[in-house]
Amino acid sequence: MFFDSDLLMSALRALTPILLAALGGAICERAGVFNIGLDGMMLMGCFTAVATSWFTGSPWLGVLAAALVSAAYSLILAVGAVTLRGDAVVLGIALNLLAVGLTSFLLRTVFGVQGTFDDPSLAGLPLVGGFSPLAYLAWAAVGVAALTLSRHVWGLRLRGVGEASDAAATLGVSPVRYQYGAVLVSGVLCGLAGAQLALGNVTLFSENMTAGRGWIAVVAVMLGRALPLGVLLAALLFGLAEAAGFRLQGLDLPQQATDAAPYVVTLGALFLTTARRRRRTPSPAPARPSPPPSSPSTSTSTSAGAVS
Amino acid sequence: MTPPSPADARAAAVELRGIAKRFPGTLANDAVDLTVRRGEIHALMGENGAGKSTLMSVLYGMVRPDAGSVRVDGREVAFADPGDALAAGLGMVHQSFKLFDSLTVAENVVYAAEPRRFGLVDRGAARRRVRELAEEHGLAVDPDARVGDLPVGLRQRVEILKLLHRGARTLILDEPTAVLTPTEADALFAVLKSLAAQGRSVILVTHKLREVLEGSDRVTVLRDGRVVAGLVTAETSAAEIAAAMTGRAVELDRVHAPGTPGDVILDVTDLATDGVRDVRLTVRAGEIVGIAGVAGNGQSELVEALAGLRPVSAGRVALLGDDITHASATERRAKGLAYVPEDRHAVGTATAASVADNLAMGHHRTSLSSRGLLAPAAVRGHARRLIERFGIKAASPEVSASSLSGGNLQKLLIGRELAHDASLLLVEQPTRGVDIGAVRNIHDQLIAYRDAGHAVLLVSAELSEIRGLADRVLVMYEGRVTASYEKAAADERTLGLAMAGGGAGSPAAPSPVEVGD
Amino acid sequence: MNHITRTVRSPVAFSVLAGVVIGALFLVGTGADPVAAYGAVLGGSLGADGIGATLTTLTSVLGLALALAVPLRAGLINLGGDGQLVLGGMAAAVTGLYCPLPAPLTVVLALLAGMAAGAGYAALAALCENRFGVPLLVSSLLLSYPAASFASWLARYPLKEPGSSLPQTRQLPDGVALPRFGSSTVTVGLLLVVLAAAAYWFTDRRTAFGYEMRMTGLSSRFAAYAGVERGGLALRLMAVSGALAGLVGAIGVLSFPYRFLDGSLTASGYTWTGLTAALLAGAAPVGTVLASFFFAVLQVGGLSMERTTEVPRELTQVLQAIVIVFLAARLRFPRSPGLTRLFRGRDTEQTPQTPQSPQSPESPQGELA
Repeated sequence: MFFDSDLLMSALRALTPILLAALGGAICERAGVFNIGLDGMMLMGCFTAVATSWFTGSPWLGVLAAALVSAAYSLILAVGAVTLRGDAVVLGIALNLLAVGLTSFLLRTVFGVQGTFDDPSLAGLPLVGGFSPLAYLAWAAVGVAALTLSRHVWGLRLRGVGEASDAAATLGVSPVRYQYGAVLVSGVLCGLAGAQLALGNVTLFSENMTAGRGWIAVVAVMLGRALPLGVLLAALLFGLAEAAGFRLQGLDLPQQATDAAPYVVTLGALFLTTARRRRRTPSPAPARPSPPPSSPSTSTSTSAGAVS
Repeated sequence: MTPPSPADARAAAVELRGIAKRFPGTLANDAVDLTVRRGEIHALMGENGAGKSTLMSVLYGMVRPDAGSVRVDGREVAFADPGDALAAGLGMVHQSFKLFDSLTVAENVVYAAEPRRFGLVDRGAARRRVRELAEEHGLAVDPDARVGDLPVGLRQRVEILKLLHRGARTLILDEPTAVLTPTEADALFAVLKSLAAQGRSVILVTHKLREVLEGSDRVTVLRDGRVVAGLVTAETSAAEIAAAMTGRAVELDRVHAPGTPGDVILDVTDLATDGVRDVRLTVRAGEIVGIAGVAGNGQSELVEALAGLRPVSAGRVALLGDDITHASATERRAKGLAYVPEDRHAVGTATAASVADNLAMGHHRTSLSSRGLLAPAAVRGHARRLIERFGIKAASPEVSASSLSGGNLQKLLIGRELAHDASLLLVEQPTRGVDIGAVRNIHDQLIAYRDAGHAVLLVSAELSEIRGLADRVLVMYEGRVTASYEKAAADERTLGLAMAGGGAGSPAAPSPVEVGD
Repeated sequence: MNHITRTVRSPVAFSVLAGVVIGALFLVGTGADPVAAYGAVLGGSLGADGIGATLTTLTSVLGLALALAVPLRAGLINLGGDGQLVLGGMAAAVTGLYCPLPAPLTVVLALLAGMAAGAGYAALAALCENRFGVPLLVSSLLLSYPAASFASWLARYPLKEPGSSLPQTRQLPDGVALPRFGSSTVTVGLLLVVLAAAAYWFTDRRTAFGYEMRMTGLSSRFAAYAGVERGGLALRLMAVSGALAGLVGAIGVLSFPYRFLDGSLTASGYTWTGLTAALLAGAAPVGTVLASFFFAVLQVGGLSMERTTEVPRELTQVLQAIVIVFLAARLRFPRSPGLTRLFRGRDTEQTPQTPQSPQSPESPQGELA
């Protein structure tokens, strides 16, 4: 039997880091911040978790530190994209590159090794019922996020900020505050994802160990339309594809084919969902504002153009 | 929020004294005084650039004045942002609505002032609140409808409900009837009058004389940043107000001589696209066909479909006899089509590029290059010629287009498209946000273009512009062309009726009319 | 508008300075002397011993930077450089190994094969966007992995060198190699890449196609309205982009050790270095060359910095990324009356807004040429 509970289990195990990161990405997207720096934030979490666990002997402190450090790291995106209005795409890419360089640099200077730090006395997270505690946390987080976004006051305001930040501003809701909040939350979640990666299934840090999972999380956000439940399904799809890939290796298919499978599957899923969406909305013509926009009307004001 | 008693009906709800605000290069407001009384509908009038928006931005806390004071209910206030203004009982409905399209009416109305239960939004209470307010003020709307799906008139109601939910005692409406049919506008004014009767105040920022005369109690006119008239509506006239706005005796509605139509250039048969159907029209060489209609009745979609920016789902479009129904924008332009779009900043130009680069677009493969190679000297020369011909005020052709004022950017756009010398010119809202001197210039250019033997299809929300320029006027309503008039028959009342869906006095649904010769 | 003042106050200058300063702080933090470290970077990369390595690195970095800059100029981001690079290298290896023609012809064919493979694969990503609506950013990245896996499989199984324990193909036949300059590692590949840069400069500035490219980058809606066919443009630009990446891969295989070794083409991360160079330059042609040179210096210099000061070479990576962080945030030196007086310029500052559109970010037009 190919599709059995073992497959599901291994899919679920692989799922956690991607799910946490994708959840963070989805929250940012709902708030109107395009966050593709998930990989970099996760990697910072990996390193921090390992370093803290090593120096304090407690994996839990490692988790906490990972969350805090990644949140601080995410401030770069918050300040750059929200306050300074820089390009979020470039910032995200820069965050990814910086994390790789920074963690490799710190690996050398703090631990004195290159490549991988893998000490047997490094304390990892205990398993509860076969899963890491962070896995349960991830699922709970999906529920909390879904509930908060759809029913809670903050969730409503965040959605408004993401949809039309100027409208929110005129009603006294500060877009900056909510966007910063969203980015910081994504930082925390990515930190937890990194901690899971580095202290969960394995207990080690190796250079660039996220191996593109952050990018998969970005794709999961797109596939899942930035909805917590959608993101869960997308992450599950990827997890299943990856687990199935490992299975296929047992059937004598080369490892490379199974390595490639999850990406091909994800691409296929994207084709299907975007093709379906395209059929429903016939034309990608530029959106027209329904009342005619007057050139400088009654909105914010400081530039030389705003007269009348 | 209990409305104030009739006893203080004469008291000032809002008082602006000595407001001054300068922006780089211009004094937007110069010692402006404005007093709006309780229970009053007060019109604030002036042309584009007169200072109305700036003044309201100051009142609403979006801009800090350089000098002067603002008083609300007798207390001096200094708003740091619109949130403060809202809390003080002021509410503004902007010209482009500040709504969340993907949220429901109830969510939009209670946003940032939500009824709560244990931190969660109390949806039932929100719905009830919307229904109560709607009933009390005659603004019926379904609380659970998605705002993005609502027509413009209802979206405006949501905006007003939003303010009433917060207990706004003074409402500021910026050009509220720009997007309404005459019937919807009447309904709006009925609501405003009842709000005023309850003791609330309304500030109406507008340039529409007729509505001001019919709906307001007092009028303040701004010109060049200063108050030039404070009038009581019942005691003044359209001519007096217009004269105050422009500073001279105005010839209202300048009408140009008609053209002499020749061959059919554009032939549209049974065209359908998003929200548009059964459109039949022709435009001949040497004629201007105007499309009137309240914004949002399919005009934009129709023009985009003709320009090749929106797919056509049925029907046929022929340009100079060739079928271009499914041709790309590139192919249409090659055949002889030019297009001045409504949105000059995001679509018609690339504001980050230089003036010369903007002027070169569309010419870069024809007159400005040979075999794919651009000639920089030609690009510069072309830019200089157009700058001179259309009076575009730019420091040099190399400066960024973002440094141009709105009016100059519009001249750039129109100049470039006219320079294509295309057989057919599609033009939308050619003089929106353009100062009066430039309006004349643009109108003259369009007439000259027509008289040179080209066909022009003009879409405009300004009835006076359509009536002045067009040889024939079509009216669009709910996605179809419902009426067609020759220039002589196109008076404001007839057009207004047709725009509202009526025709020949009949309130029944209009059938598509065969238009063209 | 004073040119010097504008350049000094540009976001690029500020970002580079910020990177250098923060790098210095890191150095101090690890107990090293910043001056000695930066001196070692420059000496090691530009001195007689190091210039060869720098130019060799530049061949790859500039090639990939151009590969990324070409679509970026029109606002398109190609994140599949690694996949196109590897496929190009593999195509060149296969051609080199099996082509029966005389060596010089084989070399030319191998280069062309590499370019074709890269071009085709990149065009595939563009098709994903045009036909299926999957954003190019995502499609190019996702396609990159299967490409790398495929090449890896080829190197480990069907094309593997018999008897070797390494995942590599056989060595190319004698003579099937790019000519070198003297005894250095710099090959003719550098000339090819420089030629590509010149072609890019010319196209960008003097052709109608280049004009359309730039306008699409500044405002895609404007370009579409004016009749520039976005789909065709994207396809062509991606094909060029992939061809350049494939060229770099082919050059890599046709240089020492004259074989395809799984992972070696991507090990140094030149694709990302190239991306950062293109971003720093705002995809402008001359700027891309300068930025590539700057980053090549950093990369090679980093190695000698590590040898002389024991500071890990990864610091140069950190420095690179910091420069891009600051650039993305568009910070610049505040107006200083003294500076203005010094150069007697009258600054007319224009800050074009970068709209935050995820699908196709408007290209950040930098201030270098």
